[in-house]
Amino acid sequence: MTQGKLCNKRPVNTEEELHSLLADKGGKSYYEEMQDLDVDASEIASILEKTLKSRMRTWLEICTHCGLCADSCFFFLANNRDPEQVPSFKIQSTLGKLYRRKGGVDNEFMRMAMDTAWSKCTCCNRCGLYCPFGIDMGVMFSYLRGICFSQGFVPWELKIGSGMHRIYRAQMDITTEDWVDTCRWMVEEHEDEWPGLTIPIDKPDVDIMYTVNAREPKHYPEDLAEAAILFHIAGENWTVPSIGWEETSLAMFAGDWEGARLQVESVYEAMRRLNPGRMVVTECGHAYRATVIEGPYWAGLASGKTPVETFHYVEWVVEALRNGKLKIDPSRKIKEPVTYQDSCNYVRNGGLGDIAREIMGYIAEDFREMSPCREHNFCCGGGGGLNGIGRYRRERNIGLKVKRDQILATGAKLVITPCHNCWDAVRDLEEVYRIGIRWSFLKPILLSMVEIPHHLLPKE
Amino acid sequence: MFGKVLFATTATPACDNAAHVAFNIAEKYHSELLIFHVLGLPSRGFSPFVRDARTGEEEYYDQDYIQWVEEELKNTYAEQLARYPNARIMTMAGTPHTEILRLARKEDVDFIVMGAHSRQERTGALGYRQAGSNMQRVARSARCPVLIVNRPCTTCLWYFSNIIFGTDFSRASYSAFLFASKLAREIGSRLYIFHALDLSAMHAGKIFSQEEIEDQIKAAKEKIHRIYLSQMQDYDNVEMEIWEGVPYMEILKYCREKNGDLIVMAHHTREIDPEEALLGSTVEQVVLRASCPVASVNRPDKIQEQRKTR
Repeated sequence: MTQGKLCNKRPVNTEEELHSLLADKGGKSYYEEMQDLDVDASEIASILEKTLKSRMRTWLEICTHCGLCADSCFFFLANNRDPEQVPSFKIQSTLGKLYRRKGGVDNEFMRMAMDTAWSKCTCCNRCGLYCPFGIDMGVMFSYLRGICFSQGFVPWELKIGSGMHRIYRAQMDITTEDWVDTCRWMVEEHEDEWPGLTIPIDKPDVDIMYTVNAREPKHYPEDLAEAAILFHIAGENWTVPSIGWEETSLAMFAGDWEGARLQVESVYEAMRRLNPGRMVVTECGHAYRATVIEGPYWAGLASGKTPVETFHYVEWVVEALRNGKLKIDPSRKIKEPVTYQDSCNYVRNGGLGDIAREIMGYIAEDFREMSPCREHNFCCGGGGGLNGIGRYRRERNIGLKVKRDQILATGAKLVITPCHNCWDAVRDLEEVYRIGIRWSFLKPILLSMVEIPHHLLPKE
Repeated sequence: MFGKVLFATTATPACDNAAHVAFNIAEKYHSELLIFHVLGLPSRGFSPFVRDARTGEEEYYDQDYIQWVEEELKNTYAEQLARYPNARIMTMAGTPHTEILRLARKEDVDFIVMGAHSRQERTGALGYRQAGSNMQRVARSARCPVLIVNRPCTTCLWYFSNIIFGTDFSRASYSAFLFASKLAREIGSRLYIFHALDLSAMHAGKIFSQEEIEDQIKAAKEKIHRIYLSQMQDYDNVEMEIWEGVPYMEILKYCREKNGDLIVMAHHTREIDPEEALLGSTVEQVVLRASCPVASVNRPDKIQEQRKTR
């Protein structure tokens, strides 16, 4: 049985393995090794037998190839209506075949399945909304990724990403010390301007436990400071856990279900340890999907719910605006045309579309909807891990055209993107297509217009 | 005051003038010098790509790349390094201002030196109206003084002979004063305390009577005596001046008249979004136009710390 030194079916569990993968520039040797990677047909058959249950079997069998899903897929639209980009074709030619052949496929097939699962689908689940039978190709692609991962057919960056979660319980190499120190640093940096500002760590029995995306402490620590300042202004009793602070899941994007379980369990453990009233997740879409929607099932929680009630950041914002904990200065509302990028993971798949509109009502004078929008909105173009995979850069950039045209049609030059993936995709879109737009999370926008209670101002 | 100096560089000609000053200061004060370059912006979500700060090319953030850039840095500053080898070259991928502030905190540096902006093509104030956003953010948030060098320093012969301290009487300005007065005392330079009465509203049609102006000048004079001169005790190598006009113009004219080789000010504007701060605050205008380095000091930490340890 051929298993590569870097490319193999073993998940990454040690720093040593992680560093050797990282040292392989662009995954060059990794993908070379993949060409010779053995496929264990009986193992795939056994996985299919145990986990491909009646819902997905039915979906695969009842698809009539009517093609109604075609126009729902942004890849189909962006690729000149290529029939090979029709979602039903994409899933039937991969998972469908795998199922019909009972796992009897070869290396070339698995590489094709990997390329399809990661570069032709972002698991945005839009097709499921348009299929007359409700067949959700996104769900099935997510499942297919798991099978690919089990055989070692996974994009290099996501093998690394899932390893990061397994080793650090974060998508990046951030230790507990790094995280705690970043929190302290942000307080130091802003306490002059905001006397009394704190980022309480591991404070039990508070109202809110706040959790983030690892990219915030790593690259955008101001985001953490902004969250702290907004909680401070709103007078919230809150904390961050020293362990279990990371919400995201590249393991989910990789199809590494074991890694995904380990990651969410660290967050659930923090909930149990600190006993907060609820948890608030930062402005991230897939983090919400991983930890709030899918995570409880990975962790085998019978309720299907997180141990304490969980809010996406937009839900906290709207609550604070409604009850006056955050008050917007009407003169500082956004005057220019502005649009909102509905994240697939918390709008289509999380039902928070109304909340996004309500927030825009508070903060913008000229809000322009994209068309389509809300649960019908298209993926930003970089979801499902696609933003981070070098092998599929070209495919990703082609897919961005749909979002580009949607934004252009609104006439807005500012896009509110309360999701890290969307934020990245819109930024990259500007870099690739130069349409002259700006993009922002909600936190800095709110801070620029919120009324500051007099007693919180620094005394000169 | 200059025990550990962090020189944050884009490693492009935009920072050549800053490099000159950074190495000169390190040499004169026998500082430990950290040469820090933020390689590029982390890009593409979680991926290990970096958009190189100098070339704009996409690179893999790995050991090869880091070594290559560090080698380039050594070449860029080969001449200075030959003269002053007590320097450490450090790199990091990230958002420049974040990584500069993170390193300054981690290494507990006493002083940061940086260029005004990363644009290579222009160094004057005419072509654009704002200074670099990284510089603004570092200057605003750093715990230690930040020396910003934009144009070649024509008066920097001795580091420093004539220190111009510009004040708007804010709390942050007091920190700037602590630094300026301490520096003057330690190296025996002449300290000029300067305030400009802001008459820029005149352009908008608000007319001040001469009496009003004179009253305000008188009040400012009293403030300077009360807040600053009273702290100088026996140090008499100091003078003060109050002029009226557009503050950044006045301080630049005053600096030129006094052969200033260092301007010390506080940079405490809340507005850091370049879109919003199109005109720039006084300190940005001074930074862009001054022919000597500008030290931005907002916080007393590093200055008081040293006072305690002495």
